[in-house]
Amino acid sequence: MLRHNENKMRLPWRATNLVLLRPLPYSLSRMIRVRHLSHSFGQHQALSDVSFSLGKGEFVFLSGPSGAGKTTLLRILHAALPIQRGEAIVADFNLVRLPSASVPLLRRQVGVVFQDFKILPLRTVEENISLPLELRGLSDTHMERRVRAVCIALGLEERLKVKCRDISGGEQQRVAIARALVTNPKVLLADEPTGNLDPALSLRLMELFKQFQTYGATVLFATHSRELMGHYPEAHVMHLESGRITAANWPGAGVAHALRAGALRENFAVPGPGNAR
Amino acid sequence: MSGILPRLVRQGLTDLALHPRASIGAVFSLTLITFLVGLFFMTLVTLDRQLGMARVETVFQVYWRPGTDIGRIRSAWAEYLHLPGFVAVKTYTPEQAMAELGARLGRSGASAGQLFPFLPADSALPATALVSLVPQGPDPEKWAKETEAYFRSQPGVARVAGTPVRDEMGRAWKNVSRYVIWPSVAFMTVMLGLTVGNTLRLLVLARAHEIEILQLVGAFNRHIRLPFIVSGAVLGIGGGLFALLLLYILHAQIAEVLNFPPLFLRIHFPPPPMSALLVLAPAATAAISGALAVKG
Repeated sequence: MLRHNENKMRLPWRATNLVLLRPLPYSLSRMIRVRHLSHSFGQHQALSDVSFSLGKGEFVFLSGPSGAGKTTLLRILHAALPIQRGEAIVADFNLVRLPSASVPLLRRQVGVVFQDFKILPLRTVEENISLPLELRGLSDTHMERRVRAVCIALGLEERLKVKCRDISGGEQQRVAIARALVTNPKVLLADEPTGNLDPALSLRLMELFKQFQTYGATVLFATHSRELMGHYPEAHVMHLESGRITAANWPGAGVAHALRAGALRENFAVPGPGNAR
Repeated sequence: MSGILPRLVRQGLTDLALHPRASIGAVFSLTLITFLVGLFFMTLVTLDRQLGMARVETVFQVYWRPGTDIGRIRSAWAEYLHLPGFVAVKTYTPEQAMAELGARLGRSGASAGQLFPFLPADSALPATALVSLVPQGPDPEKWAKETEAYFRSQPGVARVAGTPVRDEMGRAWKNVSRYVIWPSVAFMTVMLGLTVGNTLRLLVLARAHEIEILQLVGAFNRHIRLPFIVSGAVLGIGGGLFALLLLYILHAQIAEVLNFPPLFLRIHFPPPPMSALLVLAPAATAAISGALAVKG
């Protein structure tokens, strides 16, 4: 099993490339604020009274078993689902009062990575990654520079001209991640982004997400991989079960019993670097 | 921001190549429906022109008995030039009629014996004259009967075929055309719009995944719609042009098939404004349908 520090030593990334992706300073201190959020699909209560807030540059693991409501929460946070009850503010957009015409503006501030990739198989890696940049009207040179930088960071530079249907599942996942990162989003929502990747690659990608965090991006990273979380014992974790936050290890989470990282690990068997399973 | 528009237009064009089956299917559907509408337009134009012409011009075809003295026939033809309302006369001697028939059968210069070996050697086609006259007096029906009687009374005349059927149709057409033409054109345009709209909706459905992704990465609806508008317009123009080509080929084959007595109907190709409509209407409706099919 790869250890976090060992893996970091082996990373082939050139971090200097990411300087190109450095975002502008943010004016907001709270990037995500969720209060008493509930959502149901018919009789099924997917989220119940969820409250938390994330500041600029915070990185939080959203953990929980399948069906806990992680994906529903992420979908609400980028306005793919309407708010039924409660309120949410993301990157200064109040989702309760967000007109549909403003949804694209929100999505330009929020990068999203889906478990099922959501990439265009008939287009090349480069075309997929540059899609959000094209919509912003960037020049070809500027786009090329940014796409290349993120591709080098993700090890996709050799695959730029290959159609996405002709690359592996892991590479497709990286394309989806690259597309979310290339715009320097203020908020990054990742729904099991490492679900299709081997452990070594998962850790490499985690490092990239963490780098984005250091540049000021707020990252909400849904995963049910305890092994992955175990490599980052200092990270904040918010645990969802049956649509409720049942535990968290930082004060921003709206649970009465905010737990320390060690306690959370004990309660939910989140392995640390030393006891990864 | 200036670069977005050309990019989206280019994307609309390249998308067609990315989805060749869907594009070919859409062009095929558009061609068929536009061709059907074109056929309807061709029928309307033919009725309007040919039956409308009957209001100002009636054609009589006069046949002489075989063996009638050609000198007498020629003097009758000369007499027609002085008839009231005379427009034109086209005449055939038996030899000219045979030459014309041989030419139509693809055997120019062949004699009657060579063309029809089963007929007696002295068989000959009758001398004929096609006389176009403008109806005189307040009652065109009465005038037509009297004129036909005049031709029939001439010595050696075997048969007279007039165009009273066409005249009657012409009068009927005159009465209904004002209520038929434009409503029909409007109806066919609506039908064309609905069919083209559904075709484009299917094309958009096939690309729903792509639209979802564009929305997720922050595309405004106008950014999503523009490539579909461009693709729709190109498909519409392609379908319209193909339909026009098919219509042209068909017209070349059937233009004269009804041009015989007593109908004398020449089939007309839709005039340039209507032909342009056959290209522009599917293009516009396809472009609009493409835009509408992409829901916000």
